[in-house]
Amino acid sequence: MNISLKNISFSYSDSLDDAILENLNLEIRSGECIVLAGESGCGKTTISKLINGLIPHYHSGTMDGDVFLGGKNTSDMTLAEISRVVGSVFQNPRSQFFNIDTDCELAFGCENLGMDPEEIKQRVENVVQEFHLEHLLGRSIFNLSGGEKQRIACASVAATDPEIFVLDEPSANLDLKTIADLKEIVSRWKRAGKTVVIVEHRLYYLRDVADRICYVKNGQIAYEWTPAELEAKGAAYASSLGLRCLNLEQLREGVVRQAHQPCKVPELVEGPQGSKELDLAKLSIAKSIVFTNLTFAYHKKHPILDIDRLKLPCGQITALIGHNGAGKSTLAQVLCGLQGSWHQKRAARKRGVYLIMQDVNHQLFTESVLDEVLLGMKPQDEKLALEILEGLNLKQYADNHPMALSGGQKQRVAIGSGISSGCDVVVFDEPTSGLDYRQMLAVSVMLKKLAASGKTLLVITHDPEFILNSCQSVIRMEHGKVVEQYPLSGNENQLIKTMTGKL
Amino acid sequence: MSNTRITGKKSSNTLVRDLVNVGIFGALYLVLSGLGASIGFIPAFIVVSTCVVSLVTSVPLFLFFSKVERPLLCCVLLCTLFGIVMTISGHGISFGLLCVVYGVLAGLCLKLFHKNFVGCLLANVMISFVPSSMMIPLWSSTEEYLAYCSSVCDKAYIAHLAELSSSYWPLIGLFSFGAAGAVVGGFIARRVMKKHFERIGLAQ
Amino acid sequence: MKLDPRTKLFLAVVANGMIFTAPLVYSLLMVVVTSILLLLEGKWKFVCTFLFVYIGAAFFFDLMKNLDIGTSGTIILASLFLMYRIMPACVVLYYVITTTKVNEFLACMSRMHVSNKVTIPLIVMIRFFPTVFDESRAIGNAMRMRGIRLFSLRTLKSPVAFLEYRLVPLLVSITKIGDELSIAAVTRGLSAETKRTCVATIGFRWADAVVWAYCIVVVVMFLLRN
Repeated sequence: MNISLKNISFSYSDSLDDAILENLNLEIRSGECIVLAGESGCGKTTISKLINGLIPHYHSGTMDGDVFLGGKNTSDMTLAEISRVVGSVFQNPRSQFFNIDTDCELAFGCENLGMDPEEIKQRVENVVQEFHLEHLLGRSIFNLSGGEKQRIACASVAATDPEIFVLDEPSANLDLKTIADLKEIVSRWKRAGKTVVIVEHRLYYLRDVADRICYVKNGQIAYEWTPAELEAKGAAYASSLGLRCLNLEQLREGVVRQAHQPCKVPELVEGPQGSKELDLAKLSIAKSIVFTNLTFAYHKKHPILDIDRLKLPCGQITALIGHNGAGKSTLAQVLCGLQGSWHQKRAARKRGVYLIMQDVNHQLFTESVLDEVLLGMKPQDEKLALEILEGLNLKQYADNHPMALSGGQKQRVAIGSGISSGCDVVVFDEPTSGLDYRQMLAVSVMLKKLAASGKTLLVITHDPEFILNSCQSVIRMEHGKVVEQYPLSGNENQLIKTMTGKL
Repeated sequence: MSNTRITGKKSSNTLVRDLVNVGIFGALYLVLSGLGASIGFIPAFIVVSTCVVSLVTSVPLFLFFSKVERPLLCCVLLCTLFGIVMTISGHGISFGLLCVVYGVLAGLCLKLFHKNFVGCLLANVMISFVPSSMMIPLWSSTEEYLAYCSSVCDKAYIAHLAELSSSYWPLIGLFSFGAAGAVVGGFIARRVMKKHFERIGLAQ
Repeated sequence: MKLDPRTKLFLAVVANGMIFTAPLVYSLLMVVVTSILLLLEGKWKFVCTFLFVYIGAAFFFDLMKNLDIGTSGTIILASLFLMYRIMPACVVLYYVITTTKVNEFLACMSRMHVSNKVTIPLIVMIRFFPTVFDESRAIGNAMRMRGIRLFSLRTLKSPVAFLEYRLVPLLVSITKIGDELSIAAVTRGLSAETKRTCVATIGFRWADAVVWAYCIVVVVMFLLRN
């Protein structure tokens, strides 16, 4: 089924003056797989909402122009009718499930459309076979990993057998191995002749699947490439447009070139100088912090975490990699004293380890940024707090409500509160998930600055681009144990190999 | 030639949003009121527990009031859900029906006052009667307990106990404590709404 | 053995009615049937523990009534007695909750022609309990890292602030999840007007008839006696 967007303008407010899309035209042929890329806030998600009918039916705003799905105007269809034709998968696997077990979830879409129970059973069975979900049947949604959840989400959308699939940043919370599964799913849909529209930052996994990559800027389709064309232009070109790399093998040279012609980093460029030109060689021989007795188990026989000694180089950024379920998050929790035995917790409190959670909203409590930094401080010293904010480029927001800030700013507020409570070790849980290139770079610069100020950082991440950009050493975990620990310089190939090995 | 139009105003789709909100806040309300009421396990605090419940639940309720577009329907549904859960978990059907009545009253308060502060406050008070009414069966059982006791203990003592528990003062106390908690909670909630949710952009 | 959810609901309503209004004998009758049902489900551990505590409590009350224990003792005894009376209700609740799957329950609701306006919030609510606890635990962790605790001088000084720290992030993240959830729901065709179908198979069997008959007999007996 082909999709055509004709002269679309849309704004989330009452008038078209501050439109997010302006006079946009896009034709998507039947059976095509297209990727909408672009920086955050460029309007690419809005385009996906136009296709799945959320605009004009759900979101309030002002719209001009028409969207046709196979010749039918979406304004004349109801959302339920559109949902028969268009299946949508969203970014956050946590918030797109309606049921508490997988069986119900797979049947949910069909049930909503009022299909016959026998037919639903047949369809669910087919989908289970097709997506190899046998081992996930009858499980509680809350015990699934992010990748498993995303697979269930794709499968339950596929069960209604729509002609068009719309995926909004489906890989944001996945590790590289499950991204490979996702790629497999998308290419299966393409083989079956479905039209697939993907909004995405990470492009590399779509290299062999996508027919077109549309670059959205200022509410318009600015460029269109085939993946091969974009790849030929090189990593530097992509990153200058704020796109993630298309080919992981290209990453290394991209990083080297990056160092010579630094991309403009928003928000943080004007930070104190000297941090970027960090002399890594000097730091690498510096002393390291040693953690001992990092074990954790729900049942004695199956330890989730089993590490005797963990050495973190002082004042450096260490990446912690490993597949979902390898025990990375548990390690972070035990390090920070949020899990584990009584004396593990006491040791953690003594040392001062702070965790920046993946969902930063959980750790912002007060009504202003300044209060947030003052909250953990003993004794409370406003001058020092303002200094900390200055260092994080947040001083002008001191009186703003922390939750009203942008994602990156929130993250920095959380870091500020960590610094103010006197922690020397800061652990980050996937700080770059779902970020575009510039935002990722901003996070990277900020972490480098933090490390230069003497903090020791441990970053849990699935983002090879980010690791190559900012980390100095890598720890790989598997089954609750540290398998490898090596400095990054000179070992980039090894890193890329281990991270993509299963691709 | 332009066909510029306002989107997202069709009622059937915002209805789903309202229904989902009822579900979410229903879950939150149940959890919070359960936590608040658990203070009543200490016998001396039974009467105060309704006050604690309505204090704790007023902030979420105020947010709920400001988020829903159909106050009457949503309030009735919220209370009905609570009633259903409580009926299954061991309170009589009469309590379930009472919940619906409170829901209607709360919805009417919101509707009549167009969701301004007075309306929200009154609706909050109405909903605070829901947990207060939960204690009614406890009272009817006490009388039965008295009958049971009278076969065992001496007459004068039973008379004293009967005087204590047959009086409806504690029950009135429950309701008024609950309402007082709802009023105080309402003022706190107004402050919290101004201080946080309006600035974040979650409420108008 | 599988019972229809409607039978379970009827059992729960009758049992609760008996437990809170009728003399002890009737609630004992309900306890017996629920215990048998639980045993048939293979929950013998739970049933044994319950019966042990329940009978122990009965024995304890029997012992206590011969003693002379002052006013305070009687008040404690009164509240214990109430708990003792509520215990059977809890067992029935446990039976209904642990043996009914959500989709069976929903199928039963739609058989009873309950409107979507009630079932949609119900699904969301059931799905949201675990989420509320998850989010609240994450926030609790964040608070602990900042040294904000329930049992501390700071909380004692300003309990409202503590409540605020706990509630505001919870409400923010939960409303956010809720918004995303309703978007996901409408794109998957959920609406209040269209009729949903249900995959779960429910229906009356002989076991249901036995339980219904038993409950009705108990109710009739109670009504005739009074």
